[in-house]
Amino acid sequence: MRPSRLIPIATLALLMGTVACQKPAPAPTGPSQAELDAAKKAADEEAARKAAAEEAARKAAAEAAAKKAAEEAAAKKAAEEAAAAAFKAAADKALVNIHFDFDKSDIKEGDRALLQGVADFMKAYPQAKVEIQGHCDERGTNEYNLALGNRRAAAALSYLKTLGVDEARFTTISFGKEKPLCTEAKEACWSQNRRDEFHLK
Amino acid sequence: MTRALFRTLFCALAAFAGLGLSAQQTEVVLSATSGSKLVLAVAPPKLTGLDEATVARDFTGVLQRDLDETGVFGLLTEKLPATTDPSSYKAWKEAGAQWLLATRLTKSANGEIQLEASAIDTNAEKAVFTKPYKADRLVPLRRLAHALSDDLVFQLTGVRGVASSRIVFVRQLSPGVKEIFQVDRDGANLLQLTRNGSLSLSPSVASDGRLAYVTYKGGAPAIWGQRTVGGAQVKLYEAAGGGMVSSPAWSPDGKRLAFVQGDRRGNTDIMVLDLASGHVRRLTDGSGINTEPSWNPDGTQMAFTSDREGGPQVFLMQSDGSNLRRLTSEGTYNASPAWSPNGAMIAYVSRFEGKFDLFIYKLGEGKAYQITTGVNTSESPAWSPDERRLVFTSNRFGSMQLFTTDLSGRQVVRLSDLSNCQSPAWTRAR
Repeated sequence: MRPSRLIPIATLALLMGTVACQKPAPAPTGPSQAELDAAKKAADEEAARKAAAEEAARKAAAEAAAKKAAEEAAAKKAAEEAAAAAFKAAADKALVNIHFDFDKSDIKEGDRALLQGVADFMKAYPQAKVEIQGHCDERGTNEYNLALGNRRAAAALSYLKTLGVDEARFTTISFGKEKPLCTEAKEACWSQNRRDEFHLK
Repeated sequence: MTRALFRTLFCALAAFAGLGLSAQQTEVVLSATSGSKLVLAVAPPKLTGLDEATVARDFTGVLQRDLDETGVFGLLTEKLPATTDPSSYKAWKEAGAQWLLATRLTKSANGEIQLEASAIDTNAEKAVFTKPYKADRLVPLRRLAHALSDDLVFQLTGVRGVASSRIVFVRQLSPGVKEIFQVDRDGANLLQLTRNGSLSLSPSVASDGRLAYVTYKGGAPAIWGQRTVGGAQVKLYEAAGGGMVSSPAWSPDGKRLAFVQGDRRGNTDIMVLDLASGHVRRLTDGSGINTEPSWNPDGTQMAFTSDREGGPQVFLMQSDGSNLRRLTSEGTYNASPAWSPNGAMIAYVSRFEGKFDLFIYKLGEGKAYQITTGVNTSESPAWSPDERRLVFTSNRFGSMQLFTTDLSGRQVVRLSDLSNCQSPAWTRAR
């Protein structure tokens, strides 16, 4: 046998021996259960922290958005209220009673400016719709006064039409002498009752 | 007897008309004078099981007021004989009674009240009327008195009296809230017919008792009423677009409803609604105010108020709108025409010195007669079903209240002390 052949065999044996004599190393199974739990806990905590942070951020963003929205809504509401108040104020200022002579439905000269005010209001507020109510004093029959009140409402309607307001924006109604403002039997009272009233519909 | 009474009535009219006074100044006696009334004595009722005070209040007092307002009986109340047996008839006659009314009221153990009534002609010394009546909870004593009064009027005139009739009217409960009410002709038994909580106006009662009126409960005015006798109140008509409607008036046959509709140009027209078909027809021509339609008794004509010739005046037309002619000529404000049940007269109001008075226009004569006079207003006349009286509203005691008057204007009776009343209609009870 040649020695040159023995070397690899010895080496092999040595190697094998070495291999066989090595202490068995711990199995490569990763961290212990405790370590795993700890890691998991840590991870969970981290995730929770992250989630909380995200939640907080989200919340903050939502709060900010809500606050902004609320501010916007409040601003809008305030604007609307202001507009409504302005509308109401304009209506209150413009929609005032006009008056008539006994058994008459002619628009009095002094009331033309008042009707111009009604027309201006209607033009300034194109959404406005108005009911014209005709009323009478007590010195006529109930039924004739209902007809006269209708004529008084129509007289205002006709005049407003000439001022350029679409008549479709008005309804007319007569209350005759059924809804007096004043109930004493004297001219000061009767003259108040012979009227057209204008009411937002 | 009826004819004799009417003859007296017409003679009185003719006599006053002959004085040649203007309608505004004339005070004309249209009704029978006391001399032409039949003198009736009501003997104290014979009572069994009833106390005198109750009977005096709920029966005798009611009966005497009823008879007094019939216009055909004069009541004898003094120096009455003590008994009503046949031997006393001569004494009753000597006391002035043409008829003696003897009554017996008996209350049985079950609470039922029997009334036996007989009217004796003291001249012929025999009964001209005998009738038994029964009262119970539903028909109280005062309704027996009304029924007896109505029967006695029928016995005398051939036309049933109106003591059992009712007034339907409008009453304000609070500003802006007016409801329809009903009350007996003597002011008893007030009953609220609508609960709309709004303006309810212009009641009209059909001959079969159905009610129609205008209510603003939906905002715009609409005509509501009963399609069937005793039926629910339903909407009968509303103008397209919620326009003005007023003044419903049942036709005499109860099939049509005249009413008033306003347009947006200020005109108001008389319209007729056919209830069965729902068809509406305009009768007037859309110029000016036309309102307050009142049918004649056969439904062929209407009286109404129009300002087509200036101020309000009463006009007539056929119920198809043809043959329009003016009725009233004197005065600047004549309105509220009410055609009488027999067709010969039209009651209306005329404005004079700031207040209204009642007038009657006699179609046969072509003349108007003033019924009420005074510093206070008298408005909204409506005929009694027997055409002997008018119900109206007046403020003579302050607030507007219900009154009735005979056609002479002499016997004005306040119907009740209810205040804020308007638009009365007079209807037979059913």
